Amino acid sequence: MKAIGATMVASSFSCSEKSNDIPASIVGASVAIGHKLRFDKIPEPTLIEEIDTIIVGGGVAGLSAARYLHKKGNHHFKVLELENSAGGNSAYGSNNISAYPWGAHYLPIPNPENSEDLFDFLKEANIVTSFNSKGLPVYNDYYLCFDPEERLFINGYWQDGIIPNFGLSEKERKEIKDFMLLMEDFRRRKGMDGKYAFTIPVDFSSQDSEFTALDKISMAEYLKQKGFTSSHLYWYADYCCRDDYGTNVNNTSAWAGIHYFAARKGEAANASQGTVLTWPEGNGFLVKKLSEKLKDKVISNQLVYSVKIENGKVLVDYLDSQTHKTHRYIGSNCIMATPQFIANRLLDRSHETISQSTFSYAPWMVANITIKEFKDRKGAPLSWDNVFYDSKSLGYVNANHQNENTFHDKRVITYYLPLTDGDPVAERKKLYDTDALYWRNHIINDLSQIHPEIAKSIENIDIWRWGHGMVRPIPGFIWSDERKNARQSIEEKIFFAHSDLSGISIFEEAFYQGTRAAKELLNKS
Amino acid sequence: MQFFLLLSVFVVATCGLIYELIAGTLASYLLGDSVTQFSTIIGVYLFSMGIGSFFSKYFKKNLLAWFIQLEIMVGLIGGTSSTILFLLFEEVESFRFLLYMLVSLTGILVGLEIPLLMRILKNKLEFEDLVSKIFTYDYIGALLASLIFPLVLVPYMGLIKTSFFFGILNVVVATVLCIKFEKEVKWASVLKTQSIAVIILLLAGFVYSEKIMAFTESLSYPDKVIYAKSSPYQRIVLTKNSKELRLFLNGNLQFSSFDEYRYHEALVHPGMQGLQEHNDVLVLGGGDGLAVRELLKYNTIKTITLVDLDGAITSLFKNNHMLLDLNKGSLLDKKVKVINADAFKWLKENSPRQFDFIIIDFPDPSNYSIGKLYTDTFYRLIYRALKENGAAVIQSTSPFVAPLSYWCIDTTIQSVGFKTLPYHAFVPSFGDWGYILAVKGTQYSIPDNFISNLRFLNHETFQQMLIFPKDMEKKKTEINKLNNQAIVHYFEKEWSEYLH
Ligand SMILES: Cc1cc2nc3c(=O)[nH]c(=O)nc-3n(C[C@H](O)[C@H](O)[C@H](O)COP(=O)(O)OP(=O)(O)OC[C@H]3O[C@@H](n4cnc5c(N)ncnc54)[C@H](O)[C@@H]3O)c2cc1C
Repeated sequence: MKAIGATMVASSFSCSEKSNDIPASIVGASVAIGHKLRFDKIPEPTLIEEIDTIIVGGGVAGLSAARYLHKKGNHHFKVLELENSAGGNSAYGSNNISAYPWGAHYLPIPNPENSEDLFDFLKEANIVTSFNSKGLPVYNDYYLCFDPEERLFINGYWQDGIIPNFGLSEKERKEIKDFMLLMEDFRRRKGMDGKYAFTIPVDFSSQDSEFTALDKISMAEYLKQKGFTSSHLYWYADYCCRDDYGTNVNNTSAWAGIHYFAARKGEAANASQGTVLTWPEGNGFLVKKLSEKLKDKVISNQLVYSVKIENGKVLVDYLDSQTHKTHRYIGSNCIMATPQFIANRLLDRSHETISQSTFSYAPWMVANITIKEFKDRKGAPLSWDNVFYDSKSLGYVNANHQNENTFHDKRVITYYLPLTDGDPVAERKKLYDTDALYWRNHIINDLSQIHPEIAKSIENIDIWRWGHGMVRPIPGFIWSDERKNARQSIEEKIFFAHSDLSGISIFEEAFYQGTRAAKELLNKS
Repeated sequence: MQFFLLLSVFVVATCGLIYELIAGTLASYLLGDSVTQFSTIIGVYLFSMGIGSFFSKYFKKNLLAWFIQLEIMVGLIGGTSSTILFLLFEEVESFRFLLYMLVSLTGILVGLEIPLLMRILKNKLEFEDLVSKIFTYDYIGALLASLIFPLVLVPYMGLIKTSFFFGILNVVVATVLCIKFEKEVKWASVLKTQSIAVIILLLAGFVYSEKIMAFTESLSYPDKVIYAKSSPYQRIVLTKNSKELRLFLNGNLQFSSFDEYRYHEALVHPGMQGLQEHNDVLVLGGGDGLAVRELLKYNTIKTITLVDLDGAITSLFKNNHMLLDLNKGSLLDKKVKVINADAFKWLKENSPRQFDFIIIDFPDPSNYSIGKLYTDTFYRLIYRALKENGAAVIQSTSPFVAPLSYWCIDTTIQSVGFKTLPYHAFVPSFGDWGYILAVKGTQYSIPDNFISNLRFLNHETFQQMLIFPKDMEKKKTEINKLNNQAIVHYFEKEWSEYLH
């Protein structure tokens, strides 16, 4: 007996020891440099240069603005980006196994209406290869998400698709079906103004109060009002809110919650509705395509710390985080493509009377895990998106999924965890106070629920902390005056472009806000 | 005392013979050629018993304790031997060494036991009586073992369970002796703890033997396994019986030497004979070199490029003499260039090179990874890799068992601009098997004649192969795309219905 007891102890030891060996580190997001903004005294700029336009922030919005200016023949501009490469929330990384996303990882096939600029870009990028005789876009096969797309681990089994089904009672299945029908109905509904109730860009949605009133209550309240009781339906709605907004079902406005299901109307010649476009590096691919012609325009490692208007000119002061020198651009125009809370700090608007308190941000933890082939549970095979029912995380995405190779002995999986339990300020503090080991253990524990022996297969874990991952569409925010006013330019010199201004953080909105700001700028002159 | 010791002679003898039989059976399962295996194993076993008997004279004191100790060791080694052999079979190179080592070790230990026992009992019995009793029990045990082994144990318990069971029996005898003769046995408590630990271990093995079996697939092959290896990509197993050699990849039959000529002639010649030009040929998959063997019947071919994922397969078919007999050393021919790469990726990246004829011989689309190789996206790459009037042939599973899968391939190929010529052939090992010829340009014509050195194909046969009876008629299907993998869904459904 003793002997066996001893080997058991030894083996459980070696197991936890094994996970202790797994290297884990925190990468990316120059939080420390960003903090300089708040706490350090920064020397006066030495080098001064004149230019037409400065774009602050090289995320999707900033790059979309830059793309549009460039396309329209305006070449006298620069994009200043804090990180060492452009992309913002759509940043990506790579190792010798695969490229992988750090944030945004997919774009659903876009809506046909109000998307001319977007389709122009998709054609440029060879994502849309042509249009068929009915005018439907033909998408590049390599970019449409390969089958199998998604699966859910529920009741001890991997089911196909993520709408809970396996092991549910008939009654719950019926509720979920009724809910989906309700959403389908919203998808087609238009308001008195002839606009879709829910569409993308959000700006083009109907203003009918019948719909906008939904912004005043939470998604959870909405489900309750409709008489839904199924816990699996609540889980599903909660999952969708956390997935797209980093906010749980209690803190997401019903308008935004329904938008998730009802806004997408994209069709394609060679894909069914709701298909997504994705790449190993996620939306990092779109970032590369957006910046293809902007090589010498985007300057990275530049922390902008002040933007102000003096004598009719815009002064943009920034710190080169490599050389630690400060510089100033004097321009005719500036596009602020940073999140709203940063824009306010740079413009030193904290004293202004307009309340900005409704802009709040969801913290996220994202990890890229390099892993050898691992043992899977019964049911649907490894898919692109792999979701766990019993977890706070959103599960993992297989970065190698779009690879045409038939064989992989190693892969990279991207693990997503929005921190939605408590108030975002407290969650953000927790995110920054904890280290790589803490998150490594958290991730391994979570994954081990489904793959008990996964620790043996993991080779490396890299962790990215998004303190202000995305703007939260809390009840009342989307149709608030604050959101509407935030895009108002200052003296037609400083323009605003960021997905924050839409209230919903997705690629199409960031692209739209960037392009819109660039158009406003061009229209004025 | 006498009775117990004689009982243990009986058990020891039974167990000893059982271990020997297990080793022999396992060796012939795994290595084939049962006559050689059994005779060498019996020889080594008996010889080792002799070695054991010889060394027994060096045991001077505490004979009973030593006897019990040996008994525990035999139980442990014999009980775990089949598991060890099964699990380590992958290391084929060292496998024989391991096998004979285990056999000799058991032999030596068992060989030590009988002389020791005789010495323990020598003062208790008359010499004549002693010898007669011991050998009587010994041989009865042997008879019992040799009868129950094939009749009861192998069919009902399987090898792994059997060996654990007899290991336990061995050690139980040791434990009983230990308890019975506690006072006479030196280190009785140590031996007791030991034996209990070993019993628990063997019991655990017995209980989990199903799980262990899951690791060991060899018994799932009807014939003798003559080669088995795991490459990074797949499990490669070759089996042989008196008339055929078969290759299995991940447990799926790839060919039988008995009728593979039918499969490969049908794959290669309808395309080759109908094309005006066939200077440059590309083979995707087909690392066994059998399609290439057929290609080499045309002197007019200038180059053959073979792209197969698995270097372990191509090197096996370049080196193993039985396989070289089968493929006529085709992969070693100087016209042939072998590339180990993923076909999809290779095609995508090797765009400038074009071929007259492309042979596509992939495994059936039974999972999403392989399903990619049957998509419109893939066939577009094939189209691009063909010369203006080139053609490709695709092995396309069975149109009888899986008509939707088969016609899905046809529909998909047509969707990228090819004209198609579907045909099928009867290959006994597989069943009614399907092929689709994908034709680019206008120069291909259905062949009237075939070269003469074929065993299966001629003009009449091919005419029949073009006819699809009512139960295999063309069906309307979706196009197989990367984002729907329609074929994997068809295939799963059709084959699982057929097999259950
Ligand atoms: C974890 C996560 C997953 C997501 N998944 C998806 C998805 O799958 N699909 C999808 O469509 N959307 C997703 N999103 C939403 C994503 O935010 C948007 O798609 C889009 O990338 C937002 O772009 P943006 O330009 O509006 O904002 P940001 O990406 O925030 O761009 C702002 C840029 O400004 C820079 N910056 C900030 N301060 C300064 C300064 N002081 N000086 C200079 N530069 C500065 C930043 O570094 C950044 O590059 C996800 C977001 C997160 C956090």
